[in-house]
Amino acid sequence: MAGTRKHDARLFAVETRFQKLAKRPGGIPRDAAIERAQSAIDDVKPEFDGWLDTELQELASLIKSAELGKADSAWIERANLHSRQLCDSAGTLQFELLSFIANSLCDVLDVIQRDNHDNMESITCHMDALMLAGQKSYRRLRPEQVPELTKGLRRVVEHVTILPPGAEEDHS
Amino acid sequence: MTTPNMNLRDLVILVADQSSYMTMLIHSMLRGFGSNRVLEVRNSLSVFQALIGQKVDILICDSRLPPHGGLALTNTIRGKTDNEHRTIPILIMASDSRESTIKQARDAGANMVIAKPISPANLYDRLSWVAFNPRKFVDTASYFGPDRRYKIEGFPKGIGRRKGDNAVEVAAESGPALAQNDIDNLFSAVRTGED
Repeated sequence: MAGTRKHDARLFAVETRFQKLAKRPGGIPRDAAIERAQSAIDDVKPEFDGWLDTELQELASLIKSAELGKADSAWIERANLHSRQLCDSAGTLQFELLSFIANSLCDVLDVIQRDNHDNMESITCHMDALMLAGQKSYRRLRPEQVPELTKGLRRVVEHVTILPPGAEEDHS
Repeated sequence: MTTPNMNLRDLVILVADQSSYMTMLIHSMLRGFGSNRVLEVRNSLSVFQALIGQKVDILICDSRLPPHGGLALTNTIRGKTDNEHRTIPILIMASDSRESTIKQARDAGANMVIAKPISPANLYDRLSWVAFNPRKFVDTASYFGPDRRYKIEGFPKGIGRRKGDNAVEVAAESGPALAQNDIDNLFSAVRTGED
């Protein structure tokens, strides 16, 4: 794209096939389309259980390996990926507590990765919270319905965020 | 956002996300919107294979798509001069909706960014926005993609604008996540493709 030759700016109109065909008559009205989409999501909700179990197991196994010092250097990136996927999928399904905790874990992992901490407690307490919120009886809860848990996790994130690199070793 | 009816029947929609469950959710939403031709892939290589193998009408792609991310993929699609999909609409799904990330997506040539988690209403409105608000394309030495000039919708409360004030431009730094409306504003072109 960025050749070395002189390149004058060109502005031009494009009508893609998407734009052309989306305008055809026969489309579904917005509200009906959204309602149908919501119902299609409800149809695949039962598969969430199996997917969630797999994600939590993989996350738990990564964290266990890291605690034992057996994880490779990319473990935190993989843990972050699983956590993000949990946050996004749970959020889309309106499992707000699960999404909140997974998002909080992503924040912790981001900071730990950036600052090269070794604060495993902050990760394991999020993992415990995820295991709890993943259970069917807790899945429908919103973060504001469990203020102690959410406040506690926020404090953990704050603690990790202000923790100077190397501080964990000082405590041990 | 007022939205005319959108007809997605027979349009080929390519959904690219590493998470199989997320692609299933997006696929379900699209089916609800009336789409009957949705392809799912998990990485950039599969995106290219799909683009070579058939005509794809729109790409919905995760910003963290492996191996190099959806923004690099967008850049590559826009950058290849011999690519018949060079002007394909690209909608980026992003878990990280900080302003710096949104601007990077815009600078890579994305038509729109949608913040994850995604609701059916958010997805419908963003697709509809791409369909009914075409932007002109810009081809320069350093950029190929939808016109990035955007409207400034207003100024923060309590701050007036003087004649000599500079246009608002926030430095590329990390900051709080943007709400979908703020993201939309960053993509609201000053000029549409129809003017």
